[in-house]
Amino acid sequence: MLYRTAGQFKTSYQADQALFPVRQDAALLAIILAFAWGVLPLLASEFAFQTLLIPILIYSLAALGLNLLTGYAGQLSLGTAAFMGVGAYACYKMVTLMPWLNPVVAILLSGAFSAGVGVAFGIPSLRIKGFYLAIATLAAQFFLVWLFEKWGWLYNYNASGAIQVPNLTMFGVYVAGPQADSRVQYYVVLAVVSLMTWMCINLTRGTLGRTWKATRDMDIAAELIGINLMRSKLTAFAVSSYVVGVAGALFVFMWRGAAEPNLFDIPLSFRILFIAIIGGLGSIMGNYLGAILIVGLPVVLGTVPEALGLPISSATVEHLNIMIVGALIVFFLIIEPHGLARLWALIREKLIIWPFPH
Amino acid sequence: MLNDIFIAPFVDMVEAPDFLLQVLWEGLVSGILYALIALGFVLIFRSSRIFNFAQGIMVVFAALTLVGLHAMGVPAWICVILTLGVMFVLAVTIERVVLRPLVGQPDIILFMATIGITLFLIGLGEIIFGGENKVMITQELGIPTGSVVLEPMGGLLILEQQDITAVAVAALLVALLLVFLNKTRMGRAIRALGDDHQAALSVGISLSQIWVLVWFIAGIIALVTGIAWGARAGVSFALEVIAYKALPVLMLGGLESITGAIIGGLMIGMMEKLFEIYWGQPLLGGNTETWFAFVLALIVLLFRPQGLFGERIIERV
Amino acid sequence: MTRLTRIAAAAALGGLLGTAALAEGLSTPNLAYRTGPFAATGIPLMNGQADYMAMLNARDGGIGGVMVDFSECETGYSTEKGVECYEKTKSAALVTQPWSTGITLQVLPKTNIDQIPILAPGYGFSPMADGKVFQWAFNTPLSYWDGASIILKHIRQMGDLTGKKIAFLHLDHPFGKEPLPYLEMKAQSDGFDLLPIPVGLKEMQNQSAQWLQIRRERPDYVIMWGWGAMNAGAITEAVKTRYPMDQMLGVWWAGHDADLKLVGEDGKGYKSVSWSFPNPDAPVMADVKRLVIDAGKSQTSAEEMEGVFYSRGLVISAILAEGITVAQEHAGTPDITPADLRWGLENLNLTDARLAELGLTGMVPPFSTSCSNHTGHSGGWILEWDGAKFVKASDLIMPDTDAISELEQAKAREYAEANAPWPVNEDCES
Repeated sequence: MLYRTAGQFKTSYQADQALFPVRQDAALLAIILAFAWGVLPLLASEFAFQTLLIPILIYSLAALGLNLLTGYAGQLSLGTAAFMGVGAYACYKMVTLMPWLNPVVAILLSGAFSAGVGVAFGIPSLRIKGFYLAIATLAAQFFLVWLFEKWGWLYNYNASGAIQVPNLTMFGVYVAGPQADSRVQYYVVLAVVSLMTWMCINLTRGTLGRTWKATRDMDIAAELIGINLMRSKLTAFAVSSYVVGVAGALFVFMWRGAAEPNLFDIPLSFRILFIAIIGGLGSIMGNYLGAILIVGLPVVLGTVPEALGLPISSATVEHLNIMIVGALIVFFLIIEPHGLARLWALIREKLIIWPFPH
Repeated sequence: MLNDIFIAPFVDMVEAPDFLLQVLWEGLVSGILYALIALGFVLIFRSSRIFNFAQGIMVVFAALTLVGLHAMGVPAWICVILTLGVMFVLAVTIERVVLRPLVGQPDIILFMATIGITLFLIGLGEIIFGGENKVMITQELGIPTGSVVLEPMGGLLILEQQDITAVAVAALLVALLLVFLNKTRMGRAIRALGDDHQAALSVGISLSQIWVLVWFIAGIIALVTGIAWGARAGVSFALEVIAYKALPVLMLGGLESITGAIIGGLMIGMMEKLFEIYWGQPLLGGNTETWFAFVLALIVLLFRPQGLFGERIIERV
Repeated sequence: MTRLTRIAAAAALGGLLGTAALAEGLSTPNLAYRTGPFAATGIPLMNGQADYMAMLNARDGGIGGVMVDFSECETGYSTEKGVECYEKTKSAALVTQPWSTGITLQVLPKTNIDQIPILAPGYGFSPMADGKVFQWAFNTPLSYWDGASIILKHIRQMGDLTGKKIAFLHLDHPFGKEPLPYLEMKAQSDGFDLLPIPVGLKEMQNQSAQWLQIRRERPDYVIMWGWGAMNAGAITEAVKTRYPMDQMLGVWWAGHDADLKLVGEDGKGYKSVSWSFPNPDAPVMADVKRLVIDAGKSQTSAEEMEGVFYSRGLVISAILAEGITVAQEHAGTPDITPADLRWGLENLNLTDARLAELGLTGMVPPFSTSCSNHTGHSGGWILEWDGAKFVKASDLIMPDTDAISELEQAKAREYAEANAPWPVNEDCES
């Protein structure tokens, strides 16, 4: 009823191809954005900011970056965390070498380094495909984490080998480091993530996005219709790594506050892959849904035994948590292999014709 | 610098040949274990196109079950049989609950499902067996301990008896597996399924039976790997990470080649050890074993995309 | 709405609004890890900690008449989970027990703002000893640099260090790298060769490359900074490569009974420095056994109870409990605030007499803290594995405090500068 499309006529191709062909979609997005910008920050506690809101946004962005590569361009990557690491370390080096730099500018710039490294490790994709490529991206994963560990210059030769985010200000307000307020950090993250999402939506709808999709669907056919596969694949690696690198910089500077090399090890890569796949490959919105599920679920599960008054030790809860996440992954893959985004699309279709299905 | 890279390591090798042999032996032993894990991957991949990420946790799970049962007072050999039973139940369950509903899905979905299985088994294993490091029941299983000390060319070469046993058992297992795959009806069915699903189904091969069988064989391999590796370093969830080492082996040897998995495993085991000792530690600060195998495989693949032993990929439009 | 969805919704809302159930009593959350590759070494420690507090609750009705709420939040040694736990527990917490150098480093700057003391007994960032800079952090009774210093002193008792080669086998993680600045300084001043050998997190169980390197380099001593699965791996490899056990010395976290039991007789002669020691005859052990273990309130096994790590867990909780007692006396009320507890931890004075009163005789060396000294530098014993258990192999050895405090202050200053603005407490005497 609310989603009825009756009366919304399209009189031009342009209108038909618009981002929101149905008015209610735009309204829904506006409501969500209003929530994210206005309502949630007023309601949320420090705990909610630190364990739900900020990480969900950052993980969504990282998954979005991976999704560009895997979902749109069809190149499976298992090295996402390492590229996040490149972004984070680049950002750290920039703010320590040039303390006058605006932190948000530094974060946006750090993606460029990650993009460069991403292209270098993307070169094998020109020769190898599928799982072979996936394992090849693991080379990046392991090599880069090793490099973060061994290359003292990257962490300013700190004794602990970890990087620590200094206090950074922007217009006189602390935005990063221990002095920063969670709410400020949330707004910075939200702004960067919104900007990146807007950019990615447009990219995937434009020439580049169509080139990627053609490459994904059938590379030989794409080549035949005149797509330069090398350019298509390498731009996918570059853009994806850029987004992932920015997510990595946000991850450390706006959320974690400190990082040791093994933070960027393979479990993080898998986590982001889960988000992208459960959310839905080849979808932008799916990344957000996936992140809400994967980040939010353990937090919620952790509070259940206490709410029920069950005498379960925290270790058992954690083990059950791992089991449930594992089972849920399998469950979601079985009921909807195309992810939560597809699930939403189905619900939306039902809603459009509801309550008169004929 | 050039001297450090191109000359000094080789001088070291020649000057201390016993040490070189020791390095190669250590590499060989790790290589055998990588090869075993890779073999589990290959079997499952050939028959079902599933890239089974859960092979690593299956190793841990098998070893934990074995040790856990023994801790309950069950005699060692009965433990082995019971563990095999558990691995069989696991294979049936995985086939029923996970694989059957996912037949025909894209590769990446099946791959993710095996990661889901991995997480599930980690949680389950921790709840049942606890997270602490356990001792493999080496003696109870009749595996000799102690070591053989050789003195080639006046040097010193220490071979652990349990490593020798591991190498021997692994070789035997591979031989049996090859016989099984090539000479028996079931084995041929597995290979047929690997070549063409549709054709195999049409001649009456049961997909679900074969899948259970293949996952069970992978479970047996996991148990052997778990015993061999557990004897070296104890049994705990940290073992799971060795599964990653099997991945470059697969790249190098090809996802479908049994010979490739074995030769690739041995090569990677020895080469990464050589590189670490003679180049990694003196020049790069050590710990190069985490990435060396991957980078090596990557370089090989740039020149031979199908791996050293993989079947040549012919693409048709 | 079904019941289940209602619960889920309530839980989600509760999580979002941070209305966690209010804890009663003295909330001393522990960021424990009973899962993951480090669980083996973690479990006995956490059991010891929990059992001591349970014993106090059963015997004395808590501390100063207020029950202790000793809850655990599982981290799996993951820094990310640790921070989540910190955020989850901090609203009611009197203290943070981060249990990993990685988590400590991450939480360290936050406690300054949240004003909750960190208690990291025998771990964390060594310069935390400088209480002027790290006002809220405590690493009683010994820091890693103290530990390294005691080990070097013990080695020196066996002969001159000049020209010797000492391998430093360590976990490639903030924890393992922590003593490096001190060891490097000593290598220069004492003229020995330091050979750092890192063990990656993925190689803890398969250290054959590291031990081949040790075989090639033939160091005179191996100092081991190991944790979790790394300990068992290293000790088995040492036995295999025939490295003389009496030349191998570990930090206190590398002296876990279960790790040595893997090699049994072959591990004879292995040494580890320790600031705690199991004393089965101590009154506190009897109380714990009677009131907690026999009462079925614990996950501890009899075998575990005899170990070094379990008793260390008891000592850790005892230090915290003593801090709370001192704070309660100072504040004049049993319901203390985190700031009160900080005062308590800064004014610990565990003399032999006080330790005897607490029933901890022989389990921890006496030490005292002050506003500027947050470690206490109690000194430690060298324990030796005799094939079946650890025995004391030395008298109390004191660390080389002068050299260490100089380094501590320098590094603490560096930290404060890198994290400016960082409040420094200049009011401390000395």
